[in-house]
Amino acid sequence: MPEDPRSVRLYRRFLKLYPAGFREHYAAAMERAFRDELRESHGALLWLSLFADLAISLPAQFAREFAQDARHTFRLWAARPWHTTFAILALAIGIGANTGIFSVVNALLLRSLPFRNPERLASLDLFFAPHDTASRFHDWRTHSSYLADAALWEGLDANLGTAGEWRRVRVVQTSWNFFQLLGTQPVLGRAFAPDEEVAGTGWGPAGFESGWLNRRPNAIAVISNGLWQGLYGGDPKALGAIIRIDGNPLTIVGVAPQGFDYPDRAAVWKPAAYSGGNNGWTTIARLKPGISWAQARTPFLAEADRFWPGVRRTSAQISTITPLRDALAGPTKSASLVLMACVLLVLLIACTNVANLLMARTADRAAELSIRSALGASRARISQQLLTECVLLSMAAALAGLAVAFATNSFAAKLQPAPLATQNYSILDTRVLSFAIAVSLASGLLFGLLPSFYAGRVHIFGTRGSSGTRGSRLVREALAAAQVMLTIVLLTASLAVGHAFVRLMKIDRGFDRTGVITATVSLQGTTIQTEAGRMIYFQEALARIRRLPGVRSASTTQFLPLDAKGFIGGRFRLDGRPASTNSSDIPVMADYFRTMGGRIVAGREFNDADMQSNTPVAIVNDIFAREFGQPADLLGRELTEGNTGRKIAGVVRGMDYMTGGANSSQVFTLSRSPGWPGSTFVVKVAGRAEDHLAIVRDTIRSVDPQVPVFGVKTMDQRMAENFARPQFYKTAVTCFAAFALLLAIIGIYGIVSYTVARRTHEMGVRMALGATPENLRAVLLREGLLPIAAGAIPGIALAVLSGRLLESLVEGAKSVEPTAYAGSVLFIAAIAAAGIWIATRPIARLDITEILRTD
Amino acid sequence: MPPRNQPADLTPLSPAVFHILLSLGEGERHGYALRREIAQRTGGKLKLGPGVLYGSIHKMLEWELIEESDERPDPHLDDERRRYYRITPYGRKVAQAEAARMRDLVQLAAAKFGVPKHA
Repeated sequence: MPEDPRSVRLYRRFLKLYPAGFREHYAAAMERAFRDELRESHGALLWLSLFADLAISLPAQFAREFAQDARHTFRLWAARPWHTTFAILALAIGIGANTGIFSVVNALLLRSLPFRNPERLASLDLFFAPHDTASRFHDWRTHSSYLADAALWEGLDANLGTAGEWRRVRVVQTSWNFFQLLGTQPVLGRAFAPDEEVAGTGWGPAGFESGWLNRRPNAIAVISNGLWQGLYGGDPKALGAIIRIDGNPLTIVGVAPQGFDYPDRAAVWKPAAYSGGNNGWTTIARLKPGISWAQARTPFLAEADRFWPGVRRTSAQISTITPLRDALAGPTKSASLVLMACVLLVLLIACTNVANLLMARTADRAAELSIRSALGASRARISQQLLTECVLLSMAAALAGLAVAFATNSFAAKLQPAPLATQNYSILDTRVLSFAIAVSLASGLLFGLLPSFYAGRVHIFGTRGSSGTRGSRLVREALAAAQVMLTIVLLTASLAVGHAFVRLMKIDRGFDRTGVITATVSLQGTTIQTEAGRMIYFQEALARIRRLPGVRSASTTQFLPLDAKGFIGGRFRLDGRPASTNSSDIPVMADYFRTMGGRIVAGREFNDADMQSNTPVAIVNDIFAREFGQPADLLGRELTEGNTGRKIAGVVRGMDYMTGGANSSQVFTLSRSPGWPGSTFVVKVAGRAEDHLAIVRDTIRSVDPQVPVFGVKTMDQRMAENFARPQFYKTAVTCFAAFALLLAIIGIYGIVSYTVARRTHEMGVRMALGATPENLRAVLLREGLLPIAAGAIPGIALAVLSGRLLESLVEGAKSVEPTAYAGSVLFIAAIAAAGIWIATRPIARLDITEILRTD
Repeated sequence: MPPRNQPADLTPLSPAVFHILLSLGEGERHGYALRREIAQRTGGKLKLGPGVLYGSIHKMLEWELIEESDERPDPHLDDERRRYYRITPYGRKVAQAEAARMRDLVQLAAAKFGVPKHA
């Protein structure tokens, strides 16, 4: 049978799949064997047996050569332990940080929510669906032109349990169709029925009454799986059992599936009580089939305006309809993406650095490689060896990077917790692990490509001092310039974020947090039920706290600065003239401003006499006062809201309640009914606040052991918790920038010291011809600083371009001063110059006679 | 070069390796001749593809069971020059060790089950 040239060509292609070493030895023989076989048989059977042959022998040969290359690599690593450790560490931090941040991105933005068709679920923000009666709401949702269904929910923290055994849990009241909308059914029992919704006051802090809880058939609950396990050990008899929320009995009718804790890590759900005055509802919905997000927007915005007319819409106050997952991620969405970009920069820098290192090593290994090449190793074989070295390096780095990834991950989980249990950040996730493997392989190729390409040429030119050195130096300098460029981007980013964070911390929030302790109590569901009884409880607790050693003053407030979750208030009038905006109403007790370090601008603080007397008084903040004249002008005037009139006793600098900052209008009134639903003790102490936490807590407990005390923290701790996210971003970006800077400096140092070692002979000759060591070192310094100059311009350009993205990390971090750009370039240059000067030290010690004698 | 293994340490040999040794025991062979001979000996049951054949040869060279002899044309096929292999003394010892291992195995099986005249 004649030989078919097409078959031979095809087989030759298959032969290319074998590793280089094997191919070189046997490709010709194998091709001949194939041609021999072609003479005897042909067609499908021949190819079938050939494929089987390939499938058996390819992996075997690869394993053999890989093992060979790996042994060689480990010998090389052992010979240069520092180099190797550095390269592995640099890559480990790069790969690890990427994997860690990606696990956050994956949990918040990629993993789908544990609901039915979650991509069609929407969050309707700043949108007030009709909610005054159940029928109005259900009428609206069933007649919507763009929504298939919608549900309402409202959450609040409450005391679960009986006297003495409290725990704080998140309780959510929902429209009856809440579970149905999400497509989640209780694993035990049932969800809610339409006739279990009632009319009644909602449970915003304004009209909070225990009434709705007792109103059967509304007094039922679905509990979370965790609570079911914890309270009842997973016993189905839990159905029909009664739990007490703030003392009110609810009958358990259902148990939610494992991991279901939407919204806000809820533990108890109950059917809604509707009232017109409650604006605390959140609306979630499912888009009608066939309606796109863009199509839904128009009818949504029209409805938003209709339900909430006359409101001034600013960019911060715009109604939106967004996918539920995006709404849950909220501001962390863009922040996570920006962080992801930062860590990718870090990885790029690490890769260029290691590429640089390997280039130098490859150049140093020119002798070894040319010997191997003389012994018959082909270019492909040597490249394969170098590639194996890179793959091994990135695999070692990936393993070490896992530790970095876990650290980043747990750091992020602590400072930026996921909104739902099912969104917990995890490294051990298929997508995250695949990402880690892909990133390691990609970086291995990235930093391996140049050296391996370069090695492909080096042995052709023969041994040391070849023309290849010059090209490699150019490449290495270009790599260093790229590194400097990326470093400038990260450095200015960290400056911008750091400045913005410091500004954020320094903002005048109208109170002084040093030495302030806070502790919250809730008298709901306790034996203290009357207004007078509550007042007696608080007076007694305050008296005991004030007697403690080191306590300077103590008071209570219904809402703590920075911590306001819900607000009451309204349109106040001064001498009958209404204010132009709504004001928050913050009930406090005597000595509040003294304790919180509030600044009285005019008049006086609340005192005990105010508490005893029946003349109602109020203190307004400077924002409220501004509308009516000078602060002093307002003293003694009549402040009315509804039918309540109060005399203004003082004007104070506003406090930051996180709703419009310190610049919103606030009215402080005397608390007549503290502890309902909760009040927070504030205590100013001398010395370290942490040292007084336990005694303050115990003192409050001693008044009535049945009253739950929670949130015992210093104001400093609350501040830190409040700004944990920006703090996390700032710390992360700063770490990345510092790491990048370190790598860049090491890279430049490496180039220069390598140059010095290479050009010792030339330096000696020059010195013999009259150059001083200082001259030579100055020349090297200039050369060494070249990559910085080259990297600076594109670096600054990139930094300016990326500036706006930083806003999502820390408020107000969009840009830095032009001086900061110049400063960071100079900073890098200065450190690099120092590094170069150290690297060129050997020149000063050169012995000319010694060098020239070797000639 | 790492110290050589005791012949018995390499056993059991893969069928391909053992058959190659068997063929080379009779004299020098090139790759394709080995393949043909093994196929004949096993009644077509063991047909070594080029990858497995040269993979085995590569391994056997490394273990020093065989060595390359010079390159010359195959008088039966054509005038193309081919690479020939021959067994080393160490290779013979390994083949013997393998044969001994098989014999022991066969004796054990015969004692247990008896050996039929025709398989």
